[in-house]
Amino acid sequence: MLLDIHDVYFGYQNEVELLQGFDLHVERGEFVALLGPSGCGKSTLMNLAAGLLKPLGGTVDFDGGPLKGLNREVGYMTQGDTLLPWASVAKNITLPLELRNIPKAEREERLDRVIRLVNLADARDKFPSELSGGMKRRALLARSIIYDPQMLLMDEPFGALDAQLREVMHQELLSTVARTGQSVLFITHDISESILLADRILVLGGLPLRVMEEIRPPYGKDRILAKVRTEDSYFQLERHLRDLLRQADAATKAAKS
Amino acid sequence: MTDTSLSSAPADRRERQRKAPARISPTRRRLENLVIQIILISAFLMLWEYASGRWVPRLMVSKPSDIWTTILRWLWDGTFATNLWVTVQATVGGFLLGASAGMALGFITGAWKRLGEILQPIVTAFYTLPRLALAPLFLLWFGLGMEFRIMFSATIVFFLVYYNTYFGVREVSSELISAVRIMGANWFQVAIRVIIPSALVWVAAGLKISVPYALVGVVVAEMLASDKGMGYLLSRGASQFSAAQSFAAIFGLLVVALVVDWLITRITNHALRWKSAGLQNQ
Repeated sequence: MLLDIHDVYFGYQNEVELLQGFDLHVERGEFVALLGPSGCGKSTLMNLAAGLLKPLGGTVDFDGGPLKGLNREVGYMTQGDTLLPWASVAKNITLPLELRNIPKAEREERLDRVIRLVNLADARDKFPSELSGGMKRRALLARSIIYDPQMLLMDEPFGALDAQLREVMHQELLSTVARTGQSVLFITHDISESILLADRILVLGGLPLRVMEEIRPPYGKDRILAKVRTEDSYFQLERHLRDLLRQADAATKAAKS
Repeated sequence: MTDTSLSSAPADRRERQRKAPARISPTRRRLENLVIQIILISAFLMLWEYASGRWVPRLMVSKPSDIWTTILRWLWDGTFATNLWVTVQATVGGFLLGASAGMALGFITGAWKRLGEILQPIVTAFYTLPRLALAPLFLLWFGLGMEFRIMFSATIVFFLVYYNTYFGVREVSSELISAVRIMGANWFQVAIRVIIPSALVWVAAGLKISVPYALVGVVVAEMLASDKGMGYLLSRGASQFSAAQSFAAIFGLLVVALVVDWLITRITNHALRWKSAGLQNQ
C-alpha cells in the first residue's frame, strides 16, 4: 500500500469537522478517482496526502512510513497555471530536478525523455505566455512526472480545458502512467472523466465526509478511451454515478445548512 | 458612356476587395506627431515671447529669449554642471536608500504574514504623515548637507517601493508556492525562485514611479534649505526676482527627469521581457 490515510480527523476553523475517522488507501500503480460535489472536501484529502495540511488526529502513511512534513515523493498538479511565467518551458519542466540538485547532464537527459512523452519537444524554448491551454497542461504534467514521483496528486487538472483537448489529455495521461507505473489520486467532479480514467472511483459526500460508494470500472490498464465511450457498461455506470452524485450533493448541502 | 461605366464598376470593386485599406506607416505617423509637437511648442514659446512685457509683466514670467541666454550662460560658467551634479547625486542616493529599505521591509512583511499584520498598520500610520513635516527634524539631525537631501528623498521613495513590494509579494499565488515546495524547494529557494521574481512586476512599477519622486524630494529639500543644487537655483531665482533663472533651473530639471525616465524604462522593460513574449508572437 502506497498511501494510507487512516482514521483521520480534520477540520477548518469554526466549522464542523470535515473528516471524522476517514480512511483512504491507494495501492501501488493504482488510479483512484475521488468524485464528489464542489466544496465537499476532496481537495482537503489531497492536501493531506501532499503534507500541505496536517491531520488533527489519525495517521497519514506514505510508502510504508508516517508522513513527516511535505510529501516530496508525489507530483502535484492543480487546475491553476503554476508554471513560472519568466522561465522557458524547458526550465519550468526541469525545475524540480534543479531544486533537487541533479546535475545538468542528467537534467537534459530526463527532459528529452519527458518532453517527448507529452509532445512538447517543439516548444521547449518558449515562454508559458506563448503556449495554448493544452500545451500548458502538458508542460505541467511533464513537470510533475520528471522526478519520477511514486504518485501523482491531481486536483481537476484538466478542468479548464475544452472537451476535445480533454479527451486527448486523458489518453496521454493514461498511457504515461501506464508506462511509468505511477499511482494517481485524481480529484474531479466530472463523472465521465472518473469512469474513463480510474481503476477505482470513490464517490464522496456529506459532512463529515464519507464514501458513498466505491466503484471499479472494468476496463483495465491498457484501455482505449474511444472504445470505452461506446460500451454499454459505460453508460450504465454514468447513469448510476449521476444518481449517486446527486445524493452526495444533497447530503453535503443538507449537512452544511 | 454608360457602357464603359458599367463594365468598369465590377473591376473597381474587385480591386477594392483585394487591397487592405491604406494605412500610414508607423514611422511616418511618429514623424508627423513629432512635427506637430514641435509646432505646438514653438507656437507656445512665440506667444510667450510676444506676450511678455505686453500683456503680462516681464518680471513675473520672463521671456524665452532671456531664459535661453541664462541657460547658455549657466552651461558655459559651470553653474549647471555643479548644481545638477549635486542634485543627481542626491537623487541617486535617495532613490537607492529608499528603494532598498522599501524592498527589504516590503518583502519581509509580505512573506511573513504575522510580521506583516503587526508592522503594516504602523507603516501606514507613518505614510499618512505629511513628509514635509519631517523636514525641520531632518534639518536638525543631518544639517544642510547631502545627508539631508538624501534622507528626505529616501523617505518619499521608501513608501512607494514598500507598498508595491508588499502587495506584490502578497499577490503570489499560494497554489504556485505549494507546487514549488512539493517539487522540493525549501523556503529560501521559494523566496529566490518564486516570490521575488513574481513580485518583480510590482516592484518594477514601484521603482519606476518612485524615480521622479526621488528627484522631487531632493529638489524640495534643496529649496527648503541648501546652498547648492537645482532646487537652490530655483528658489534663488525667485527670491532675486529673476524669473529667467527659475525657468532655466526648471528646464534643467526637465532634461534630467526625461533622461532618468528613459533610462528606467529601458531597464524595467529588459527585466520584464518575458511578460510581452506571448504578445509579440501571436
